[in-house]
Amino acid sequence: MVTASEVLSAIKSAFPGSVKEERVESDRRLWITVDPGKLLDMTKFLRDKHGFDHYSGAAGVDRIADNLFEVVEILTSHGAHQVVVLMKVKTPRDAPSVNSLTGLYWNANWYEREIWEMYGINFPGHPELYPLLLPDELVGAFPWRKDFKGYPDTSTGRRAVESVTSDGHTEFTIMPTDKEMEGGVFQRIKVPNFREREEMELGSDAEMIMHMGPQHAVVPGPFLLDLLLDGERVKRAFLDVGYIHKGIEKIMENRNWLQALVYTDRMCYMASISNNEAYCGAVEKLLGIVPTERAQYIRVILAELSRIQSHLLGTAEFLTLIASAIYSPFMYMIIDREDVVSLIESVTGARITHTFVRFGGVRNDLPPDFKEKTLPVLKMVKEKTLQYKDLLASDSIYKKRMVGVGVLTAEKAKNLGVSGPALRATNVAYDMRREDPHLVYPDLDFDVITRTAGDSAARVEVRLDEILESVKIIEQCLDRIPEGPIQEKLPKKIKPEPGEAYYRVEDPRGEMGFYVVSDGSDKPYRVKVRGPVYAYFQALPPLLEGAYIADVVAIAGSMDACTSEVDR
Amino acid sequence: MVLKGMKWTLKTAMEREVTRLFPEYMMPLPDAERGIHELDATICIGCGSCARICPNSCIEMVPYKYGNPLKNKKMVFPQIDFGRCMFCGLCVDECPVSCLKMGKKVVLAGWNRKDIIYSPDRIAVKKHTDKEVAELEAEAKRIAAEKKKAAAAAAKEKAAKAKAEGSGAEGEAKKPAAKKAAAEKTSEGGA
Repeated sequence: MVTASEVLSAIKSAFPGSVKEERVESDRRLWITVDPGKLLDMTKFLRDKHGFDHYSGAAGVDRIADNLFEVVEILTSHGAHQVVVLMKVKTPRDAPSVNSLTGLYWNANWYEREIWEMYGINFPGHPELYPLLLPDELVGAFPWRKDFKGYPDTSTGRRAVESVTSDGHTEFTIMPTDKEMEGGVFQRIKVPNFREREEMELGSDAEMIMHMGPQHAVVPGPFLLDLLLDGERVKRAFLDVGYIHKGIEKIMENRNWLQALVYTDRMCYMASISNNEAYCGAVEKLLGIVPTERAQYIRVILAELSRIQSHLLGTAEFLTLIASAIYSPFMYMIIDREDVVSLIESVTGARITHTFVRFGGVRNDLPPDFKEKTLPVLKMVKEKTLQYKDLLASDSIYKKRMVGVGVLTAEKAKNLGVSGPALRATNVAYDMRREDPHLVYPDLDFDVITRTAGDSAARVEVRLDEILESVKIIEQCLDRIPEGPIQEKLPKKIKPEPGEAYYRVEDPRGEMGFYVVSDGSDKPYRVKVRGPVYAYFQALPPLLEGAYIADVVAIAGSMDACTSEVDR
Repeated sequence: MVLKGMKWTLKTAMEREVTRLFPEYMMPLPDAERGIHELDATICIGCGSCARICPNSCIEMVPYKYGNPLKNKKMVFPQIDFGRCMFCGLCVDECPVSCLKMGKKVVLAGWNRKDIIYSPDRIAVKKHTDKEVAELEAEAKRIAAEKKKAAAAAAKEKAAKAKAEGSGAEGEAKKPAAKKAAAEKTSEGGA
């Protein structure tokens, strides 16, 4: 097995002198700071020679005290080994620029766009540096810099000017400061807006643009999907997200470590336990504590229950989208889900936003009769899931709409950066519970479900089979769970040592990672969320190209997406 | 295929009742339920931990009459704005005397935003009556007076000590009295 120190020595021998700082955290985590000039070569070397074929994301960090920006590139592999390399590049704050990795990894596109709009770090070589989550008028304000004063500038009230357009909308423009006017350095960043960009692509009169959204039938949650149509085929798809951008990452910087936990629930309420888990895991790494064994089992039980309810609702909603003919399964699955949610509620006290996981433990112990109540529900879920599989397999309408629609090959899926059921449906057994073992998952016996077809039907099948797998895991946990404390001893004030940690878990939808930076105070210095749905959304336009309009919903909906997490 | 679907529909319809008439029949809630807060005003010490930990700052410490003046010196108690509350339960975890809990009441409606700002009186499940408050206040006054007396005695003693650097006999005589007052005070506070 390849370990982090082996990767480090390989890099060092290939690029002598260009690794500035290094830290081998464990066999699976390698932190290096590299020479900005060598970034592209080094990434290419890692990708081609060492199997780092998965670009997991990138985060920007504003090191205002050192007058620097940092870009952290997270690289890992789809199964060749389990090393995660966090490659840092430092760039001066007055002229920030980092080479774009879009030439090497297609899915670096959105991550770099986000860093560009939030921090103003330029990415030479990026094909389309347009705003992604921010509204166009906020571009140039760079809200995630540490010296951002608010919008409009709360200290002077002058930066943003409100004006009313001819059609009655309010617009905000950011005016240059006096200093910038005098210095003559001010340049308003002018980018074509979303409409202009898509209209540039219009070729002939035969083509037209069809708007789906922001309110639409693909997933609950607003986003704009514009389809450039040539006849009945989608020629290109354009995606505009950011309608419900909440700035959770910035809010968390302004709360203390414990308060910030509450916001991880609200990113996606279907997966709030795994979001809690990912954040708490990262902070536990910073604090250097390990949760007690009982707490670990409780976390696994709840994470799997949460996976069951998420998959049930995800599948149910999707079935209503593709054909009203099978609306009833939605109702059946909701009935089953209610029981599962009630089980979760009996432990956590809340039905969807749990705020349950704590640093080094959990909030509540299991109620005394939990096992007796859970086993019948698990039995029922198992029976029902087998019946759903049977029902879907015998439904000819369902098959016609789903089989062979939206096919992803393993190669394409890896390249697009998708994870979770959509990747596993293409026969890539990539599961964080195996790749990055956490909690008690290594001791448990479960399979990683895969399918070979890679189409919409395969994605649904993977989800339904994962429900059965989760049932298996919970049954094992209930048998093995030891007695003991549920909370590890914590320092009275939670103030982690300055440092950083990256922790990832298997969300119901895929790879969920939290990159957390501490500066030794009682608040996080930076929290970056690497969500699975973000990657799904990025992969949508290429996936939809060439599809029929009628299949758009069947393809996009099968991803079980959640806009709230994209716009976190 | 159609028959199979019909069979399923009938089976599910017969299986069990899922919907219920809501205001009349509430679904059973577990003991761990995080519903509307319940305040035990007789033990709240008014420390404000809950207000400080609240991520949305929906808790405000306001003056309220029916608490325990012996424990809560400033007589301030949490008032919760449920318009902002997200029922995360951090306030409950943080409370040093466990006077704040979350109960099974979850129905929360009002005609305007002010209706869902719950004063300490509305969330209190246990509070003192007028008579008890009067007694406790008298007690508090008495203790305060005693404290004052003790403080005065201590000051006097200090002065005497400073004065009688040479003649120590008088200072010696006063010391036990001050000690006795202090002992009395602690026993009152404990009760």
